[in-house]
Amino acid sequence: MRHQMLCPPAATALRFELEQGESITCEVGAMIAMTSGLTVETTSKSRGGSGGIIKELKRMFSGENFFLNHFTAQLPDQSLLIGPTLLGDCVHHSMRGGTMIVQGSSWLASTPGIEIDTTWQGFSSALFSGESMFWVKCSGGGELYLSSYGAIHSLEIDGDYTIDTGHIVAFEDTLKFNIGKASRSLIGSFLGGEGLVCKFHGQGKLYYQSHTLPSLGALLGPKLKAK
Amino acid sequence: MVMPASRESFQGGVFHASIPGGRSGATLTIARGELIADTISEPSIRFSIPLNQCQIDLGGASNRMVFCRTAEGDLTIFCEEKNFAKELDFQSGGMLAGPLKELKKGLAADANRFRFWLTVSAVACALLLFLGYFGVLWTAKIAIRALPVSVDEKIGSMAFSGMEMGRKLEANHPASRLVQEIVDKLKPHASIPDLKFKVTVVEDADINAFALPGGQIVVFTGLIKEAKSAEQIAGVLAHEMSHATLRHGIERVSQSLGIVAAIQIMVGDVGGLVALGAQVAQTSILTSYSRAAETEADLEGARMLNAAKIDPKAMADFFAMLKEKMGDLPDAMAWISTHPQHETRVQSIQDHQKKLPVVQYEPLQLDLKAAQDAL
Repeated sequence: MRHQMLCPPAATALRFELEQGESITCEVGAMIAMTSGLTVETTSKSRGGSGGIIKELKRMFSGENFFLNHFTAQLPDQSLLIGPTLLGDCVHHSMRGGTMIVQGSSWLASTPGIEIDTTWQGFSSALFSGESMFWVKCSGGGELYLSSYGAIHSLEIDGDYTIDTGHIVAFEDTLKFNIGKASRSLIGSFLGGEGLVCKFHGQGKLYYQSHTLPSLGALLGPKLKAK
Repeated sequence: MVMPASRESFQGGVFHASIPGGRSGATLTIARGELIADTISEPSIRFSIPLNQCQIDLGGASNRMVFCRTAEGDLTIFCEEKNFAKELDFQSGGMLAGPLKELKKGLAADANRFRFWLTVSAVACALLLFLGYFGVLWTAKIAIRALPVSVDEKIGSMAFSGMEMGRKLEANHPASRLVQEIVDKLKPHASIPDLKFKVTVVEDADINAFALPGGQIVVFTGLIKEAKSAEQIAGVLAHEMSHATLRHGIERVSQSLGIVAAIQIMVGDVGGLVALGAQVAQTSILTSYSRAAETEADLEGARMLNAAKIDPKAMADFFAMLKEKMGDLPDAMAWISTHPQHETRVQSIQDHQKKLPVVQYEPLQLDLKAAQDAL
């Protein structure tokens, strides 16, 4: 299976070229176009993975859909075009074991070797990280495709690194983060416009987004006329 | 000392620059004093770190992941499995027990600190809510007292029109005229000079009279029938007029104020307050002035009577008469039943009378008998 990013990073769409028998699992509603040799199967669990109603319900809490769409090529040389709901970037991450922790709604697609579950990152992260309460946990081996509003950048962290709240797209489970103040004093942190930040520690890969939707909303909201 | 090979293998991972992408999942074993990682990638690559060179760290998203690094930091093997730390400790012959224990202690301290701050924040939130709630109520009460008397009048007339009462006597009925004349005599001595007192006599056998906010006063025919003198009626009227001038009605409204109404008032919604007031006035004003308010109305009433050259003793006499006539049967005497402990009240009126300026009392030139006969 090959993939190609179209028009990154502002209005990214993903094109997959699938050989006969290959399949990919996508977020519900992500499909833009496809060739006729592909079949779509909608289930509530990842392909080949374990299911269970609790797992599906948990996935809904993280901001993802209860259902997943599995696209399988029945004929050779099939192509599938998918895109995220919001304007923005997509990235490809190859997984060889281990776990990737993804912000709710950023998971776009993955190959069947990847198990999708939901995880909880503690109270402080749930309340102050600017992300949803629950995170999507992708583990196993395969190709993972993430999307986000704005452009996505990646970083190999070895030690400490700070990211503003609301900018995390995904991080490897070998990293941990705490919520902290941007500067030494709490007042200074807020005066500087940074407020609380996510402080990462450890070794691993981090994906972060250049823009966040809530900041756009905060800018536009007051200018909108009441209905 | 050579330790036996690890009995089990663990699922973990490796960080090393030679692996494409820098990281791979791996199967871990501990054997002959070494931590061995075989990557799951094809072809599998083997990495190992001698246990005595292992730099231990705890972390990861779960905070339970054990990392083992070489001193140079170029190779890291990690695992999140439950028994991994125990096995590592056992296989190292206790070499790693110290650092592992220290790390766990640090984690526990972090968790405790978090729990401490969570408790502090919860208490602070509860305190803020508590203070906010009572702060709003208190401010609204102050705001209500600052409202003009016209608000009292609105509440009073709304409550009055919504009340179910017996037949109202005509204004030229002898009983209505008698009551009106007494009110006219007392009016100049009211503490709010421009309050518009309006009296209505209602056909009802109960010995009762009440005042609504704004000066609306209702007297039942039962009370007029039982009075022994016009002065006694004047005593009751002075008491009821005092409730109006002391604005007890609006005080009652502010006491029964809910948080929603309090916020309404603070944002300037007086219309909402009037509606609420009318409701409160209808349901509870007649039976639930506080004892302090009653005593206040007694003393203010005595002052008004004294100023109008009517002996305040008549008020006390009326209570005493009712007590004697009816005993302690509150159902039969609606008016007295809402005014408990009248013996104390008689005493306090008499005590208060001594403090008032000495005046020459003049008997009321009113024909009570004729009014009673007309009923």
